[in-house]
Amino acid sequence: MAGAGRDERAWVRGAQRGSASDLEALFHAHWPAAYRAAYLVIHDAALAEDVAQEAFLAAIRNLDRFDRRRPFGPWLHRIVVNRAIDTGKARALRRESELTEGDAIREDAEPPDSSVLRALGGLPPEQRAVVVLRHLLGYTPGEIARLLELPRGTVNSRLRRGLDAMRESL
Amino acid sequence: MTTRLERIEVPDAVAAEERARRVVLAAFAVREPVPRPRRRRRVAIGVVLAACAVALAAASPPGMAVVDRVREVVGVERSAPALFSLPAPGRLLVASDSGVWVVGTGGEKRLLAGYSEASWSPFGRFVVATREHELVALEPEGDIRWTLARPAPHGARWTGTRTDTRVAYVDRSGLRVVAGDGTGDHLVASAGRAPVAWRPGSAHVLAYVVADGLHVRDVDTGRVLARARSPLRTGLHTELEWSADGRRLLVVDDGVVLVFASDGTLLTRSNRESGRVIDAAFRPRSHQVLVARFRGGGQSTVSELESGRTVFSGTGVFDEITPSPDGRWLLVEWRTADQWVFVRLQGHRVIRAVSGIAKQFRGKAVVEGWCCAR
Repeated sequence: MAGAGRDERAWVRGAQRGSASDLEALFHAHWPAAYRAAYLVIHDAALAEDVAQEAFLAAIRNLDRFDRRRPFGPWLHRIVVNRAIDTGKARALRRESELTEGDAIREDAEPPDSSVLRALGGLPPEQRAVVVLRHLLGYTPGEIARLLELPRGTVNSRLRRGLDAMRESL
Repeated sequence: MTTRLERIEVPDAVAAEERARRVVLAAFAVREPVPRPRRRRRVAIGVVLAACAVALAAASPPGMAVVDRVREVVGVERSAPALFSLPAPGRLLVASDSGVWVVGTGGEKRLLAGYSEASWSPFGRFVVATREHELVALEPEGDIRWTLARPAPHGARWTGTRTDTRVAYVDRSGLRVVAGDGTGDHLVASAGRAPVAWRPGSAHVLAYVVADGLHVRDVDTGRVLARARSPLRTGLHTELEWSADGRRLLVVDDGVVLVFASDGTLLTRSNRESGRVIDAAFRPRSHQVLVARFRGGGQSTVSELESGRTVFSGTGVFDEITPSPDGRWLLVEWRTADQWVFVRLQGHRVIRAVSGIAKQFRGKAVVEGWCCAR
C-alpha cells in the first residue's frame, strides 16, 4: 500500500507538471472504482460515465490546487459520489420522457439481473452512496462523514437503514 | 457485501473507460483554455487555413497570376454600396468589432455596443448576448431584461415555446442552462463545450460538443439520449445545427461536414478532396445541406452536399452562409471581397451583392442569425 501511495504521489506531482503519462496512470488507477461507484449510485451506465468523466475533468481543472501530500482517491470519490447523488436525485424527481416514435434513440442495454443491484436500486440515492462508499470503496463511517460533509450519526443511520432495506429485499 | 458489489457487471465498462481516457487526456492537453466566441473562432480557423493556402499558392509564379486575378475580379461587379434592404423578411444579428448589430428588413441598423456575440430567441422577440463576464437577455431595441454574471460566457442559444424557454451557454464551469426569464441557472455537463444546438420541438433537447464527439441530452431529465463519435475525433467542431424536423444533426469538424441521424448514426460526410469546409447549413425545412468550401487555386464555392450542384462560387475566401428564414435566399459572406452576396435559392437564379461591409459595421462582421419569418 505504501508503494502504491508513493506511486500515486509521483503521478500527481508529474501530472501537475504537465506529464500526460502520469495523468494517464492516475486515470487507470482510479477510473474503474469511480465508474463502478457512480453506476451503483445512479443505475444508468451512460449517466454514470458522464458523472465519472466529469469528476476527472473537475479534478484536472483543480489539479494545480491539489495538495499532493493527500491521497488522490478520496478527493476524486468525493466529487464522483456527490455528483452521482445529485444526478440520482434529479432522475428520481423527474420521470424520464418516453422516446417518440421514429427517434430510434440508442439505449443502454438493460443491466444484468442482479439481486444486489436491484436491492441497492430500491434505496434513495443518499443511502446508496453511503453503502457504496462503505462497502465498495472501503471508507469508514468517519471518513464518509468527512467526504460528504455530514454528521457521523447521519452516515451511520443511512448505512443502517440502507443495509436493513437491502437485507429485506434480498 | 463488498464482494457482491464488486461482482456486479457494469455495462459497457471497457468502452466507457476508453472513451473517458480519450476525453480526459484531451482535456489535460488543453488545460486552462481561454473560451472565445464561437463564431469568431469558426471564422478564424477557416480564414487562417484558407489564408495560408492562398499565401502558399501566391508564392509560386502561377500563384502570382492568381493574386493578380483576385485583385481584378474579386467580388460581384454590380453591387450596392450599402445594405439598403434585405431580400427576405426577418432581421439579422451581426457581430462586429464594435458590438452586435440588429439589422431590419429595410436596412435599418441598431448597435448593441459592447457585446461580443448574440443569438435570437425562438420567435425573434429577444436577443441573448454575451460580454466579458455577463450573459444578457435584451430586447432588440437594447432594453436589458436580465443579466447573469458568469465567467467568460459564450455560445449562447435560446429555445422553447412562447411560454417556456431555455438558454444554453458555456462558461468556464462547462455547459449550463438557464430559463428564459433568467432563473434556475444550473450546470448540465462540465465536459460540454460550444457550439451547442437545441433540437427543434417542445422538449428541451440539446446537442453539444464533448472532447471527441457529441452528446444529445434532455436537459430536463438529465438523460443522455444519444452519443455520436466524430470519426475525425479532432475536437475542432465549429458548427452544430439541427434540421427543422429534429431528425438530422449537421456538424462541421476540422473542415469536414458530417450529418448524423438523431440516434447518433453517421449518415453522410464530405470528402476533403472537394475542399475544406468553412461552413454548412440546412436548407430551411429540408434535409438538404449547403456547404461553403475553400478549394485549391484560391476559389471558394457554395454547393449542395449530396448533388454537388454549385450554388455560388467566387475567388478568395467565403465565411458564413446563412439561409433566410423563408428559405428563399442564402446570404454568403465573402470576406475577400468585403461583400455580402444574397443568392436566390428558389426559381431562377438572382444575385444581389452589397459592398463595404467592414465599413458599415465598423470592423469585421459575422452574421449570427437571421430571424424570423412572420
